[in-house]
Amino acid sequence: MENLYILVPIVFPFIIAFMVLLRSFDTRVLRNIMVVTLVLCNFFLVLLLGKFQGQELFLMSFNENINLFLKVDKFAIFFATMASFLWSIATVYSTKYMEHEGREKAFFFFYMTTLGITMGIALSGSLFTLYMFYELLTLSTYPLVIHSRTDAALSSGIKYLVYSFIGATFIITGMILLYQYTNTLDFSPMGIFGENLSADIEKKKLMAIYVLLFLGFGVKAALAPFHAWLPNAMVAPTPVSALLHAVAVVKSGIFGLVRISYFIFTPVLISVIEADVFINILIGITILMGSILALHHDNLKKRLAYSTISQLGYIILGISLLNHNAFIGGMLHLINHAFIKIVLFFCAGSIYLASGKTKISEIRGIGRKMPVTMICFAIASFSLVGIPPTNGFVSKWYLALGGLEGNKLLFVIILLISAFLTAAYLLPIVVTAFLPAKEMDHNLEEFKDVKESPFPMIYSIVLLTIIVLILGIFPNPIISFIDEIASNIIWR
Amino acid sequence: MGINSFPLLMILISYILGFLGILFYKNNISRAISTITSIILVILSGFLLKYTISNGEFIYNAGHYTAPWGIELLIGNTEAVFAFLFSIIFFIVNWYSFDSLKKEIEYKRIKIYYFLTNILIGSLLGVIFTNDIFNSYVFIEIGTLASCGIIVIKNKRDNFLATLKYLVLSSLGSGLFLMGIAFLFSITGNLNMSAIHREVMNNHNTYTQVILVSTALFTIGLGIKSALFPVHTWLPDGHSSAPTTSSALLSGLVIKAFFYLYVKIIYRTLGVELLEVQYIFKVLLVLGSLGMIMGSILAITQSELKRTIAYSTIAQMGYVFFGMGLGNKIGLVFAYYHIIAHALAKSILFLSAGAIVNENGNKYINRVNGIGKRLPIELFAFTLASLSMVGIPMLPGFVSKWNLASEAAKTNSYFLVAIVLISGLLNAFYYFPIVVRAFFMDSEKEKSDTKPLFNINRALPIILLSIGLVYVGINSEKIINIFLSGF
Repeated sequence: MENLYILVPIVFPFIIAFMVLLRSFDTRVLRNIMVVTLVLCNFFLVLLLGKFQGQELFLMSFNENINLFLKVDKFAIFFATMASFLWSIATVYSTKYMEHEGREKAFFFFYMTTLGITMGIALSGSLFTLYMFYELLTLSTYPLVIHSRTDAALSSGIKYLVYSFIGATFIITGMILLYQYTNTLDFSPMGIFGENLSADIEKKKLMAIYVLLFLGFGVKAALAPFHAWLPNAMVAPTPVSALLHAVAVVKSGIFGLVRISYFIFTPVLISVIEADVFINILIGITILMGSILALHHDNLKKRLAYSTISQLGYIILGISLLNHNAFIGGMLHLINHAFIKIVLFFCAGSIYLASGKTKISEIRGIGRKMPVTMICFAIASFSLVGIPPTNGFVSKWYLALGGLEGNKLLFVIILLISAFLTAAYLLPIVVTAFLPAKEMDHNLEEFKDVKESPFPMIYSIVLLTIIVLILGIFPNPIISFIDEIASNIIWR
Repeated sequence: MGINSFPLLMILISYILGFLGILFYKNNISRAISTITSIILVILSGFLLKYTISNGEFIYNAGHYTAPWGIELLIGNTEAVFAFLFSIIFFIVNWYSFDSLKKEIEYKRIKIYYFLTNILIGSLLGVIFTNDIFNSYVFIEIGTLASCGIIVIKNKRDNFLATLKYLVLSSLGSGLFLMGIAFLFSITGNLNMSAIHREVMNNHNTYTQVILVSTALFTIGLGIKSALFPVHTWLPDGHSSAPTTSSALLSGLVIKAFFYLYVKIIYRTLGVELLEVQYIFKVLLVLGSLGMIMGSILAITQSELKRTIAYSTIAQMGYVFFGMGLGNKIGLVFAYYHIIAHALAKSILFLSAGAIVNENGNKYINRVNGIGKRLPIELFAFTLASLSMVGIPMLPGFVSKWNLASEAAKTNSYFLVAIVLISGLLNAFYYFPIVVRAFFMDSEKEKSDTKPLFNINRALPIILLSIGLVYVGINSEKIINIFLSGF
């Protein structure tokens, strides 16, 4: 029964959520302090999971072969730690930011349930369990997407639901077909086909299953052609966009992709059934399309959203190249992109809160008024472009190594082009913000009252930027951790 | 008087107490009598279920006359589970009716309503238990008339029209069913189901066409009554215009009982071994699939709340017929499971929709905005039931979806897998807008009436049903095993 602890990081956020919903606090400050403390607690609870590595917790049985259970493995710890850490910082940011959005009670309720569900995704021991949490994730994030209740929010909410449910339908189809084949859906580092893998496997059928599952999880990971919900979902409040659409939701999609590619199927099997060919085409399109579309958008958050699509393409590429270095690169980029994107989004949110501006053309000269924010934005941008010695460089380096190792020179070229495009759409923002132009006088008038954001917001931005820098200079602890994960699941 | 006699006792108690209730002048007394009936039914069927699970199926001769002369009741696991389910839902709906009926129907008719529901539940139990085909016909007729009664009791123009439609189509169904019985009787000389089966097995080579015709007659006749897709047309009118509690009973229980009678006729009376009967599975598979898709598409186009839910019933009956149409016992068991899932979910949906319509004074979907603040419990239950319909894991709707689709995948018919899953997706398109409107859109009225309304006779039944729904979802394996061990 001591394994019951595994449930704690999942249940604890739900307790916080109901506490926020049901208790009435005397002051807002009191509530904020409590929420932040408890979310931080959850982070430490997740850290303690390390002690339970390799252990399982049985939840319930669905039929004789399918059980719902949780399992702690290295990859689960990796994802859970990252998500819960970023969550606690984002909570600090949102305590201040959400004051102007209103409906804070509802916001914190769904925000916390989403944290619990994300932990559930991380700790799922079987594809079936993962699918359950995955569906719940859609439901708990939907109210966050439509938080502002405007028509734009509601219509993008519908888009979000439609895409998510179509994705879920793909997954369940794949799962049903897979179950006919294997009679189990439990994750295993050796793949679930195990020894049964003989020469006379039905290649086409397995390929169909893999592609179905991949596309299904790809919907949340914004893989083309299922990416359209992501830019739309940017109408949500900034902490939501930052956390859910750059970290939790899309990264859960990625997490699912890793699980099916390495814990259900195996790299060997995937290359035997030649399923990666289709996937790789889609990934190439995703990377380039995201970058090119990002260039076109004047809305800051939309531009960041398209940039997310393109960067997610990198991560998926790292998964689907099916070799050691590429996997390290992909997972490293998963972390790096999470930190970088959250800084970028928080800066965008601060700009919006301080000046009410959402368009890039309108923020000319704002860097003079909000220097700290914009410097952090600049650092994050450089990192995303991948200029050494930032962390973006490290992950892209490994991705390129992986591409070379897999003899896929085309992807290395795509990586380079996309890095160039990233610079082309991010750096002008920095330049616009800092360099005064001719219309400067007009903007000075408008930005008269603009100052740096309040303490909780600026604090979280600076803290995250420092971590981004540290990750760039000392990437080795994380690389060696990912290396251990990789050598468990890639053995060829 | 052992547990053996409980089935007959249950039927008799509901009839006798029903007639007793109508004798009293006061509504309260007939209401109390009806409630007592339902509690007795729950207790008796609970014991019955326990008994059959440990002792297997048994036959009870009504009046102690043996088979060819007397009427047999045959009770196995399946019958006991359904009897238990029906009794519980009857009890809960009865409870809910305490307050809701006063708002919906005229005061002097309330006791007639309780009388009719007693008769209805008695005949449904009769349809489920009986092993005599003519006896089942009698129960069908009583049940149909009682169903018409609880629709028309509202005394509005819509109700008269709907009831008339239901009555005409239903009589057609009964007529066809009776003709089917006549054909079977002419070739077997028996009315007892087991006896007919024995005779048919002996002489089916001589009478292939008679068997084919009577199978078709049964299919259409009972198909009308259990809302098989192209002959469902009476259902949306009837179920949407009826009072809330009647809708819940009609959609949750009545059509299910007729479906189970159909299963008994195909499996126990005619026998699936016959080639002529095997044809019907293909037909059911096609009609079930069509129902699943078309029912949902029609539901999407509706603007009235209760009509949407009524059309969803057609789609869900499509699942049930689909399960049967897979042609093996596993498929049938999954169909049984879906009956439970749907009975619970649909009762929740109708009861909470009734609460919404009564509070709003308006039956249209575009007026439900913001109602979630006023009726939080009802709307949470509504959401839960919708999630089950859409197929969120570990709720019963998901279990059925998964089981039916994987059963279809075993036969390598991927088209059918796709139909099951697409139908689940379509469900989302009409249930979520209602939930979203209720919770996330602001109502046009002033803020003064956004205080939560709480009515214990409305909230508790719905909460009980919701607990039942979750329980059925989590314990799906156990329930399916009960059905499986019945074969």
